Amino acid sequence: MKRLIQGPGLWIALLIVVVGASGPWWLSAYILGVLTSAYYFAVFAMSWDLLFGFAGEVNFGPTFLIGLGAYGAAILNSTMGYPIPICLVFGVAVALVGGLLLAVPALRLRGPYFGLITLVSVLLLRNAIVIFAGVTGGEIGMTVPDVLSIDANVNYWYALAFMVVCAIILFGLSRSAVGLILQASGQDAIEAAALGFNVTKHKLAAFCVSAAFSGLAGGMLVFYLGTASVDTVIDLSIAVQIIIAAVLGGRRTILGPALGAIVLLLADEALRPLGQLNTFVVSGVALAVILFFPDGLLGYLLHGKEE
Amino acid sequence: MLSNTPILEVEHLNKRFGGLIAVKDISFNIRGGEILGLIGPNGSGKSTVMKLVMGIEKPNAGSVRLHGKELAGWPTHRIAREGIGIVFQHSRPLHRQTVLENIKLALLPDSLLRLVADHSVDGTARAIAERVGLGDVLNRRPSTLPFAGLRRLELAKAVARDPKVVLVDEPFAGLTGPEVAMFSDLIDGFRKDGRAVLLVDHNVKSVAALVDRVLAMYLGEHIAEGTADEVMRDETVRRVYLGGKIETHARPELSARQGEPALDVRGINVFYGKAQALDQVSIHVHEGEFVSVVGLNGAGKTTLFNAVSGLVPFDGDIHWGGASLRGRTPASIARGGIVQCPESRELFGDMSVRENLDLGGQHLPSAAARATQLKWLLELFPILAERHAQPARTLSGGEQQMLAIARALMMQPKLLILDEPTLGLAPVILEQLSKALTRLRETTPITVLLGEQNVTFALPHADRVYVLEHARIVWEGDPARFAAEMGTGYL
Amino acid sequence: MLASQILIDGFAISALYGLGAVGFTLIFGVSGVLNLAHGGVMLVAALIGWFVASEYGTGPFLGAALGILAGLGMAYLTYFIVVRPIQRSRVIPAAEQEIFILTGTLLWGIMIQVGMDYLFTDNPVTMRPMFPGVVNLLGVRTPRNELMIAVICWVVIGLLWLLVNRTRAGKQLAAASINPRGLTLLGFELSNIYLLVWSIYGVLAGLAGVLLASFLGVSSGNAGQLTASAFSIVVLGGLGSVSGSLVAAYVVGYLETVTAYLIAPTLRPIPALLLLVLVMYVRPQGLFGRR
Repeated sequence: MKRLIQGPGLWIALLIVVVGASGPWWLSAYILGVLTSAYYFAVFAMSWDLLFGFAGEVNFGPTFLIGLGAYGAAILNSTMGYPIPICLVFGVAVALVGGLLLAVPALRLRGPYFGLITLVSVLLLRNAIVIFAGVTGGEIGMTVPDVLSIDANVNYWYALAFMVVCAIILFGLSRSAVGLILQASGQDAIEAAALGFNVTKHKLAAFCVSAAFSGLAGGMLVFYLGTASVDTVIDLSIAVQIIIAAVLGGRRTILGPALGAIVLLLADEALRPLGQLNTFVVSGVALAVILFFPDGLLGYLLHGKEE
Repeated sequence: MLSNTPILEVEHLNKRFGGLIAVKDISFNIRGGEILGLIGPNGSGKSTVMKLVMGIEKPNAGSVRLHGKELAGWPTHRIAREGIGIVFQHSRPLHRQTVLENIKLALLPDSLLRLVADHSVDGTARAIAERVGLGDVLNRRPSTLPFAGLRRLELAKAVARDPKVVLVDEPFAGLTGPEVAMFSDLIDGFRKDGRAVLLVDHNVKSVAALVDRVLAMYLGEHIAEGTADEVMRDETVRRVYLGGKIETHARPELSARQGEPALDVRGINVFYGKAQALDQVSIHVHEGEFVSVVGLNGAGKTTLFNAVSGLVPFDGDIHWGGASLRGRTPASIARGGIVQCPESRELFGDMSVRENLDLGGQHLPSAAARATQLKWLLELFPILAERHAQPARTLSGGEQQMLAIARALMMQPKLLILDEPTLGLAPVILEQLSKALTRLRETTPITVLLGEQNVTFALPHADRVYVLEHARIVWEGDPARFAAEMGTGYL
Repeated sequence: MLASQILIDGFAISALYGLGAVGFTLIFGVSGVLNLAHGGVMLVAALIGWFVASEYGTGPFLGAALGILAGLGMAYLTYFIVVRPIQRSRVIPAAEQEIFILTGTLLWGIMIQVGMDYLFTDNPVTMRPMFPGVVNLLGVRTPRNELMIAVICWVVIGLLWLLVNRTRAGKQLAAASINPRGLTLLGFELSNIYLLVWSIYGVLAGLAGVLLASFLGVSSGNAGQLTASAFSIVVLGGLGSVSGSLVAAYVVGYLETVTAYLIAPTLRPIPALLLLVLVMYVRPQGLFGRR
C-alpha cells in the first residue's frame, strides 16, 4: 500500500495538528473563534478543490451546495427538532440532490457555460431563501435550537477534528486508485475512455463527494454559529472567498486550499482595521496571485522547482 | 502465428458529418497475429475509420465485430473493456502523475469503490515499463521525458490494456531512425502476442516493412487492397497520390538569377514541444519564380510556411527582400508582401464572398485600386462573381479554395504561399485551379511558393522543386529531373 | 391602463438591459472574454456621472459625458490590468485561460465594488434627469426622461449596427469574431482590433451605467446584480450574438416588469433566472447562439 504522504510531509502535518489542538491553552478566545470558522471554511475549500482537480470543473458557486446543506439541516432542526446528527445527514442529502442537479448540465456543457450555471444556481438559491422567508428567516436568517456546544474550546476542537478527518478522507481519496481515475477523467476524458473508464460515472461521483462534504461542512457551521443566514453560507462573496482560498493555497493539492482558507480568514481579521477595504486588499492580492503565481502557495512550493 | 478466423471484422462502415461523407462503405478484416495498414492522405477518412472502431465517433451505418460481437455504436469505454486498444498520434499522458502512475492507470478496473489497487498492479506496471524501455524513468513526470519517451509511454498503456486489437495512429511520426526501429520491434511484439493490429498512416513506404497487408483510402473510399508492394504499384493509388502524367514548364532563367533571392530561408529548426518539425531547412525563392515544395502530410510543409509567415517560432534566420523577418508580427509580414493561403483556408464563413474579398483589399491605397483588383480576380475566378452575395461557408470545397486564393490575391502580394490547395478537391476543380495558376504565372510578376503532395498538379507550375521529407529537405532541382528521378520511389 | 404602463416601462427597461448586454456580448464575440467586472464598469460610470452632476452642480449632461468617459477608462483598466496579462501570460496554461479570466474579472469586479462603496457608500443615488417633465403616452403619464432613455438606447444600438455592417472597422470586428487567424493572415494586427472593441465596450457600458443612474438609480451594492443580469441575458440570447442579446433583453425586461407589476416587486428577478436555467438544460447555446 502506497504511503499517503511521504516522509517529512507526514511529520509536518502531525506537528501542525498537535500545535493546533493545543490552541485553547495559548490562544485568545477571539482568535480561537476565527480559527473555528476558518476550519469549516477549509473544508469548503477542500471540497471545491476536489471537484476542480478531479472533475476538472470550476464551480463558481460552491455556496449553492454549502447553502443547501446548511439550510437543510437548519430547517429540519428548527421545524422538527430532530437531533443534530440526523439534521446533518438530511443536509447532506439535500446537498447531494443539488450536486446531481449541477452535474447534469456540467456533463453536457463546456467551459464558461458551466461556470455561468454555477453562478446562477447561487443567485437562485439566494432568491429562494428570501422568498420563503417564513421558513428560512429570509434576509435576516434563522436561528437553530441546537448547537454543537456552548464552550468555545469544545467548538474549536470539534471544528479542528472535523477538518482533520475531512482532510484525511479527501486527501486519501485524491491519492487512491479511484482518485487516479477521477483525475484522468477530469484531465483528458477521451483518453480516460480509451483506457476503459466510464467518465460520466466518475464525474458524477466527484460531484456527489464534493456536494456531500460541502453540505456537511455547511451544516456543521450552522450548528456552531447557532444561526443560518444568506450572508454566512450563500452569498456570492463567500463563494469568491472559497475560490480565492483554493487558488492562493494551490489548486489540485487538496491540502493547499485548506491552508489558503486558514491564511485568508486570519488575514481578513488582521486587516479588519481597514474596514471595508480589507476585501479590496484581499481581492487585490488574490488577483496578483492569479496573474503571477497561478499554482498558489503549496503548488509553487511543491512543483515550482520542477519545471 | 496467424489464426484463421478474423478477430476484427469491419463491414460497410459509413460516416457523414453534415453534408460531408467522411467514410463510405469501408470493409476489412484483421486476424490475430496480423498487421493491416490503413493508408491515405489527409482527408481520406482513415483517422475517422479508426475513431469509428474505437467508438469516439458513432457510425451512421455498418458493423464492427470483435470475435463476432457487435460493437458499433457502443461508448468508447465499453469498447476498450471488450478488448480494443488505441495508441493516439499525439501523446496524451497525465502530466501531474509519474510514468509509473500513468501505466498503473491503464491496469485499473473501472470501479468507483476500489481505493487501493490490487497488489499485483505495481509489479505488472514495472514489468511493462521495462518491456518498452521506460524502466529507469518510472518516477519522473512526462514533461521531463523526451519525445520518444512519451511515445513509449503510449505504447506501454496499450500493452497494459492487454487488448485483442490494437489501433496505432501514425506510429513513426516524429521519430528518428533508431527510434523507428525500436518502435517497429514493439509493434511487431503485438503481432507475436497474437493480437490484431491496425496501423493508420499517410505513407505506405514508412510502414511497408511492418505490415502484412495494406488498404488504401481516398476521399472516404476504398481504392486498393493487397500487399504493400501491390498497393504501391496500383494504378489508382498512383494516380490519386501522384496524379497522372507529369508535365513540366520550367523557366530556368528565373532560377538562374544572380543576387540575393527574394525569400531566403537559412537553416531553420522548429520544435513543437519535443517533436522536431523542421530540421535545418534551407530554401530560397527568386523574384518571379514559382517554387514547389513537395512532400507528404506530416513532412513539414505547413510548419515551414508558418515559420515564414511568422506564425511559429523558429531557430535560424529568414530573410525577405534583404531584411530579416525575425521580430515582426504575422500581420506586419502579411502587409509586407508575404501572403499565405493556408491549408485550412481560414475564410470568414458567415460573411459573404464579396465581404471576404473586401477585407482582403482593405490595405490597398484607394477604392479605385480595390475595384480594379476585384474586377481582375472575378475574371480569374468567374464562379466567385456568380456567388458574390452568398455566405462563404455555403460554397463547395473547390469554390472556397478559389475564394481563399482570390482573397489572398486581393492584397497584391509579392510572394503568395499556397499550402495544399488541392487537398480533398475533385479533379475537375483541379483543372480550374491549374488554369488560374497558369494565368497568374503568365500575366503577373508574382512569386509563388506552393506546397503540395499532388505532384501532377504542382509540377507544371514549378520552376524549381524541393522535396521535404520528415522535417528535412532531401532533394532540390528542376521539375524535369524530379519527374525522372523521384516518380517511382515517391510513394 | 396597467397594460400600457407595463408596455412602456417594460420597453424602457428592456432597452437599457439591451444596451448593457450588447456591450457584454460584443466583448465575448470579438475577444472571447466573459467580463465579470461588467457591473463594476457600469457602476463607476453611473456613480461618477451622478457625482459630477450633483456634487459639482454641472448638470446632468456634463455629468453623463464624464460618466461615460469614466466607464471607458474603467474598461481600459480592466483590459490592461486583468484581461491582457492573462491572455499573454506564459505561466497560465492555455486551456485554463478562460477560467482564469472569469476568476480574474470576478475579483477585479469585487475590487471595483468595494472601492466605490468606500468612496461613495452604498446609499442608492439617482442622477437628476436629463429630460425633466412628464409626457402622456398611451394614456399613461410617463417621465420624459424614461422615454428619452429608451430612444437614446435604440439610437446607439442603431449606430452600432451601422458601425459593424457599414464601416471598414466594423467589418474587421465582425471578422475577428468569426476567425481571428484569418484576420491576421490578411495583415490586420489583432491587438488593434481588441483595443477598438474594448473602447466601444467602454462607451456602451458607460452609457448604460449613466442612463441607469438617471432612470432607476444605482448603489454600489448593485454591481453584482448588474453583471448577473447582463450575462443571463447574453447567455439566453446566445453568447456572441448581438441580435440574440437584444431579443433576450426584451424577453427578460418584460418578464421582470410583468412580475414586478402583477406578482410582487421582490420577485422581480426570479422568472428570468428560471428561464435561464431552463435554457441551460434544454438549449445551452441560447436562442441564437453560434459557438
